[in-house]
Amino acid sequence: MALREPAWRVTARELESSLEEEKGEGERPATYLLSPFAARMNRVFLAGSLSPAESIGRDESQAFWRARLSDPTGAVAVTAGSFQPRAMAQLRSASAPRPALVVGKVHLFRGRDGVGYVSVRAEAVRSVPEAEERAALADVVRQTFDRLDLLERVEKDPALTEETLRTEGVPVAWLRAAKESRTRYPNVDRAAFRRDLRNAVRRVAGDSGPSRATAPPAPSVTVTRTPPPPPSAPAPSAAERAEESLFLDQLDEVADVSADGYADLKEVLSRVSSHGMMGDRAEAILNRLEEEGVIEEPIVGKLRRA
Amino acid sequence: MCAEPTPTGPVESRLRDLRATTSPVEFVARVVTCERREVTRKADGSRRPLLSGLLSDGTATVRFTWWDPPREEIERGTVLRVVGAEVREFRGRPEVTFSWKTRVGPASPAELPRVDAEEIPFRTVHDLRPADEGFRIEVRVVRIAPKSVTVGTERRVVHEGLVADRTGAIALSSWSDFGLRTGEAVRMAGAYVRSFRGRPSLVLDERSSVVRVDGTDLPDPVELLRRPPRSIAEVEDEGGGETVAVEGVVVGLLPPSGLVYRCPTCHRSVRSGICRIHGQVEGQPDLRARLVLDDGTGALAVNANRADTERLWGVTLDEARGRLRNQPDPTLLEEEMLEALLGRRLRVRGLGTKDDFGVTVTPESIERVDIDLDAAAEELFARLGDRS
Repeated sequence: MALREPAWRVTARELESSLEEEKGEGERPATYLLSPFAARMNRVFLAGSLSPAESIGRDESQAFWRARLSDPTGAVAVTAGSFQPRAMAQLRSASAPRPALVVGKVHLFRGRDGVGYVSVRAEAVRSVPEAEERAALADVVRQTFDRLDLLERVEKDPALTEETLRTEGVPVAWLRAAKESRTRYPNVDRAAFRRDLRNAVRRVAGDSGPSRATAPPAPSVTVTRTPPPPPSAPAPSAAERAEESLFLDQLDEVADVSADGYADLKEVLSRVSSHGMMGDRAEAILNRLEEEGVIEEPIVGKLRRA
Repeated sequence: MCAEPTPTGPVESRLRDLRATTSPVEFVARVVTCERREVTRKADGSRRPLLSGLLSDGTATVRFTWWDPPREEIERGTVLRVVGAEVREFRGRPEVTFSWKTRVGPASPAELPRVDAEEIPFRTVHDLRPADEGFRIEVRVVRIAPKSVTVGTERRVVHEGLVADRTGAIALSSWSDFGLRTGEAVRMAGAYVRSFRGRPSLVLDERSSVVRVDGTDLPDPVELLRRPPRSIAEVEDEGGGETVAVEGVVVGLLPPSGLVYRCPTCHRSVRSGICRIHGQVEGQPDLRARLVLDDGTGALAVNANRADTERLWGVTLDEARGRLRNQPDPTLLEEEMLEALLGRRLRVRGLGTKDDFGVTVTPESIERVDIDLDAAAEELFARLGDRS
């Protein structure tokens, strides 16, 4: 009998960076998503801001809902269907982003172009006070550091044995995951990933101010946007690139039919949201595209290609 | 030049020294348990009686099979002299078989092998396994309390508790009163190890001996019960433990959680008004939670009783019953409970037992843990490591 899979504490960025899968052993093998940062996950525990959900079910008899969970490192889709009735009810219950905890199973969807999209099928969702979200995020970041430290040790000493680690209380599964990560992702910049956890630590400290989650959700054009990401931002992941191209496609379509050649921001946002990209996530993409000089907003609320 | 007088025939063996051999052996041992049954021969359908059970001579216990035993009852405690028994090995343990070639007769307990106390090996708690015996052990009594139990038709007092050495802790059941007190260090001989609810347990009876010792290198009982939590992966690895301490967050609930009904006599949960033991009963309502606690390395189940469930959930049994009256769907209660508890950080201590589904903890204490966010942030900032 297989033991219950532990819930790996991971950030949204780690999930976004995970593109490798592995089948477990036994009669009903579980599937594991391997991250470049020594996680071998079947189940995960996430903390962040959960956006309102949208229905993506094909028909009414098969309800299926999707929301986005954003933390200071990125965002990931959280889904629930009729087999997770309670989690689905929780997803549907909110009309504005709120701090939340999510326990669920990871899924990797590979599109025809080979691009991977990671989502989390929720088993349980709970809206929490901000302090609890920060406490859970502290747990997530601490364990992420633990795994990064272990990766460094494995790099320095490839002969590191399970026995040595066992006496230190490090789970055997972690060592296996670390070794597997090194084989599957030989060229990942782990130092950069560690540096990027700074925003998450700031959020734990509470000095990043209210999270994007607690800001007014409606992407009204007069609202000042959140500050742009630090200039040393690493190259976007495959999933982010896919989102960017979705955003740009919608922008082009709106601009094509508009009288003045500009794309109305509200209309673009409503279009991308019907494709599953929720408010605060779309804001982040918009910020990045402006940052990279791909698009500009010469008139408030009007976008065009730069 | 004259050699030691050698006894004729095979040398009398101790059960501890038995190995699977071709030559028959001779020994004296006491019947610990025995059971009479018949096997049907495939060839002609004839039935052949056999007696099987356990024999002990104070050095080891072995299983025996006695083909065509005498008609008269062989009682537990009878001492037998066995000449010409065959030794086999089954799953790494020796077993003896008595056939028509074997001579079995009564013997006096005085003929049992004399075991010199000095030659009994010392063992540690960590390497005790079920069915072990013939060892000495020095332990600290962590706790002990008498308990009255019914064995068959008889009322007996068993002294139950917990003992420990540097290597670990093990449950103790003493069927004889050795006047054990919490905090004492003792050396035990003649104890044996049983498996109770999947955990090894040390058993003492009237044939065991207990002496007080100085025990300077034995752990402090209070310290033992206050050890810091360990990772759930470790606890899973070790198959639970007598004094498990873990910390994690609630990630789920296992059925049955919430409102349950229990048999008024035995407190087992009642299904459709039927107790497994007492049949049709008037179930008494109770509140419980089977929490799934997860620390990122592993997960285990924690069976919280009514008091703990009420405290953690913030809903009393009466309130839960009230909710059920307004909304007669018991699964809803369970889900409301999960939504109240999901992500709650808890430190749990208690007995951890392992089965096919993993480790279950019967808690002695469940404490809520609140993270100091400032301290956590400070620690995490330090670990960002701007080393490049």
